[in-house]
Amino acid sequence: MHLRRAALALGAAVAILAAAAPGVRAASAAIIEVSPGGSALQAALDAAPAGAVVRLAPGVYPGPVTIERTLTLEGAPGVILDGGGAGRVLTVAAPDVVVRGLTVRNSGTSLAETDAGIFLDKPASGALVEGNRVENNLFGIYLHGARDALVRGNEVIGNRSLRMSERGNGIHLWAARGSVVEGNTVRYGRDGIFVTTSRKNAFRGNSFSDLRFAIHYMYTHDSEVSGNVSRGNHVGYALMYSDRLRVFDNRSAGDRDHGFLFNFTNKSRIEGNRVRAGRDKCVFLYNANRNVLSGNLFEGCAIGIHFTAGSEGNRIAGNGFVANQTQVKYVGTRHVEWSADGVGNYWSDNPAFDLDGDGIADAPYRPNDLVDQVVWRHPLAKLLLTSPSVRILRWAHDRFPSIYPGGVTDSAPLMRPPALGEG
Amino acid sequence: MSKKKHDVPEQTGVTRRDLIGSTAKIATVGGVVAAGVAGVSPAAPEPRQARAATEAGSAFVGPGQLDEYYGFWSSGQAGEVRVFGVPSMRELLRIPVFNRCSATGWGVTNESRRIMTEGLTPETRKFLESRGGIYTNGDAHHPHMSFTDGTYDGRYVWINDKANTRVARIRCDVMKVDKIVEIPNANDIHGLRPQKYPRTGYVFCNGEHEIPLPNDGSVLNDPSQYIAIFTALDGDSMEVAWQVIVDGNLDNVDADYQGKYAVSTCYNSEMGMNLEEMTAAEQDWAVVFNIARIEQGVKDGDYTMHQGVKVLDGRKGSPYTRYIPISTSPHGVNTAPDGHHIVINGKLSPTVSVIDVRRLDDLFEDKIAPRDVIVAEPELGLGPLHTAYDGKGNCFTTIFLDSQVCKWNMDAAIRQYNGEDVDPIVEKIDVHYQPGHNHTSMGETKEADGKWLVSLNKFSKDRFINVGPLKPECEQLIDISGDSMELVHDGPTFSEPHDCIIVHRSKVNPNQIWDREDPTWEEARQQAAKDGVDLDWGEDVIRDGNKVRVYMYSIAPAFSLETFEVNEGDEVTVYITNQDDVDDLSHGWTLSNYGVAMEVAPQATASVTFTADRPGVHWFYCQWFCHALHMEMRGRMFVKPKSA
Repeated sequence: MHLRRAALALGAAVAILAAAAPGVRAASAAIIEVSPGGSALQAALDAAPAGAVVRLAPGVYPGPVTIERTLTLEGAPGVILDGGGAGRVLTVAAPDVVVRGLTVRNSGTSLAETDAGIFLDKPASGALVEGNRVENNLFGIYLHGARDALVRGNEVIGNRSLRMSERGNGIHLWAARGSVVEGNTVRYGRDGIFVTTSRKNAFRGNSFSDLRFAIHYMYTHDSEVSGNVSRGNHVGYALMYSDRLRVFDNRSAGDRDHGFLFNFTNKSRIEGNRVRAGRDKCVFLYNANRNVLSGNLFEGCAIGIHFTAGSEGNRIAGNGFVANQTQVKYVGTRHVEWSADGVGNYWSDNPAFDLDGDGIADAPYRPNDLVDQVVWRHPLAKLLLTSPSVRILRWAHDRFPSIYPGGVTDSAPLMRPPALGEG
Repeated sequence: MSKKKHDVPEQTGVTRRDLIGSTAKIATVGGVVAAGVAGVSPAAPEPRQARAATEAGSAFVGPGQLDEYYGFWSSGQAGEVRVFGVPSMRELLRIPVFNRCSATGWGVTNESRRIMTEGLTPETRKFLESRGGIYTNGDAHHPHMSFTDGTYDGRYVWINDKANTRVARIRCDVMKVDKIVEIPNANDIHGLRPQKYPRTGYVFCNGEHEIPLPNDGSVLNDPSQYIAIFTALDGDSMEVAWQVIVDGNLDNVDADYQGKYAVSTCYNSEMGMNLEEMTAAEQDWAVVFNIARIEQGVKDGDYTMHQGVKVLDGRKGSPYTRYIPISTSPHGVNTAPDGHHIVINGKLSPTVSVIDVRRLDDLFEDKIAPRDVIVAEPELGLGPLHTAYDGKGNCFTTIFLDSQVCKWNMDAAIRQYNGEDVDPIVEKIDVHYQPGHNHTSMGETKEADGKWLVSLNKFSKDRFINVGPLKPECEQLIDISGDSMELVHDGPTFSEPHDCIIVHRSKVNPNQIWDREDPTWEEARQQAAKDGVDLDWGEDVIRDGNKVRVYMYSIAPAFSLETFEVNEGDEVTVYITNQDDVDDLSHGWTLSNYGVAMEVAPQATASVTFTADRPGVHWFYCQWFCHALHMEMRGRMFVKPKSA
């Protein structure tokens, strides 16, 4: 079916294959095969007709390479674009380009010049970047004003020789509305995904480790963060200055400072997430308002939830707080109720009974009463939670509510944590 | 969280502490419990506020006791400067600057109106003619005192006006403004800092917003023709010495301890006009100004004149500046008292970048690359904005998004940058809420003494009883004298201090009363001489066509004139000299139903001019409490109608 023509251009071994593609659309797709050697690749990209598929034979192709027309650039294992440590390796500056199956490595290290492995410039709307290994670049994949791109199934490994503050981000989005970033793995960058001033995008099913922040989020409204996994980063999910997010089914394990940080994140739904074994805080809500937190599990952190700065109107119910040294760090002087419609949260340190068996403890739970502090400082005291002295103390606490300058009450504590999958 | 010991959720009150005390008692009753629980009590942290008060820590300044420090606070859009006692955090004085002050008559008296207009450009003076003649608002951010040899000398405090592009100077001998100048060719003034060495000297002023030059309407929506401009104001003459056009915009500024360089941050290297464009670049920069080279450039005539000012071109490639790439949108610039390091605070980056000024000579000689002047870049937390110092090698950085102050060690940060496995962060403390500027006692001088830190927090939210939708700011005082930071006081302030300085009281020596020879009322002195009147002891009414000049002195509880008469339509000037010479015996002069009121402090002269176009009997009185018969200290102005 392929009409083979001799490829003489620039002395390179370039084969152009025009696919008649019977029965498909009238527009035919040319398949252009390129082998390593000189500037063959750039020449082929410049000469390719719109809609062509440029297919690379294994070998190393020197960068920088620029795509300025709509086409597909396709590699296979062993196809390497190498920037040689200078500038951007692959720049896309045309709409609806597909970049697939390449190894893209060794960009320059200039933050000012935003040296990147794959740089999608403003004209590169609707790009598909898929199944690439993006390695040892300053920025891995940079969406610079390119809208509606799909970045899927790439492995992004940063430049480990740089100091963290001098590295770029694994996947960086600026003004990249409508992007979908899914199923990527990011390691050794500064931030895994950094996004600012971009709306309506989705980050799904990505995996992050050995980073500063897994996801660093600014001024990005109406978006989804779901099914991601963050392990061993400084911060898992730092979601800031953004409204109407849907944050669900994410995992954070062993992140240092915060599993989740919500700062001026408003009117968002935060559901089914799980944080385990953070050194400091499982979740930090700071001046974050009118959110729904439900079905999340916060487990084994120094602080389960740090709730502060007048975060207002949040619906916090159906979550589990398990074995955090301090379950709740509440900073404020107002009284807040953390149950809704008769359903509160599970507190692993709650010694309550459920005599009527309805799954709701028979007495309200107030985190951070004096007993909590005793138990936190002296875990062995847990053995004594049902002892008369502890009960007297809690009873005294309840009799004198004036000692609370505000605080959290869960009027309907759960007897069991929410069931979430391992992660 | 921090390395800080885990404190209990912050709660207040002695009742709580009492209860903690009783924990042990109850627990002891529990028999076997005792071993596990009784030992808790001594370790249980006590509420910080209770501790400060009951242990009478040095933050407690009792009745009749004096503070160790003056605090000069800005007030943002209130347009004034406030003087606090530190550590008591008592507000002692408000100094009207860019605002119209009902109490003192600032903006009403002839003396204040001269100060508010004489430093404006002719074009602005004309613009204001139909608007009452003066600006009545300002946006005062950064108060900074004059330096000699790297420390405060108590002469002046300067402050910027972001709203109307001015800089004012406060005389610290009388705590009044004596000069306000408009900065030409800029659209606002944001960052401001005085030269530290050998003396001030220059006051460096940053024009933040970008505009065309000239901004006369010939260029409108074409940002490619906009510029931002850096100004060196002569702090003695209060005239603009020179200006430098830069790439990008200018945010905050500080000077070195050697008198060679000033450094400003730029958050808009993109020259973007909206949020998206302004956050596009991965890096912005700090721009360094080489003062000697600029002065030489002025001498060599390498400038163009704009609105009477010598303007040099300091854009990239010029000999006058160097641009040091910094992660996007840096904010505060703070020179460390060690004399060698300048911290650039990251804002949108969780890092601060430390410049070693000893490398700047090589940078200007092009022997090293711009980033080579960075010697540390510790990651401190989310949103680092400003850094203060204790003079012992520690730095205190406000981290806005985490709402904390991070204490970190400069030496450790440098070692970490060089590859050593060391954590520069010493401790973090929560502040409430969202800190902007901070300052330590004497912290921006070489005499930083490591006693007090004030965190100026933008929101108080629920820290005080609710006063309705407009809440106070929250200035928190932190004791930094020990190994661990201790929050000791919450101080509410009205709209909206941005910044402050904390000056040891030995540096500031204001007069108790005015000197009769003070230049403030020189015009009144000269006019009285022309009129043949003894200004000190005036009791005269001088008619000069339809102008009438009324001279009075005041000694409690009387003015020297009980009445005076003018004709409807006369332009009347009233001069009041306070002949009381006792501390704190201020008088005032209020003219009822004429909108006229002014302060006359001991031994001062103040004057006001108005048109007497409302006939009838008008009482004037002393509104500044002075005497047992204060109410009786009054008199009448008769305005004879035209028809009569």
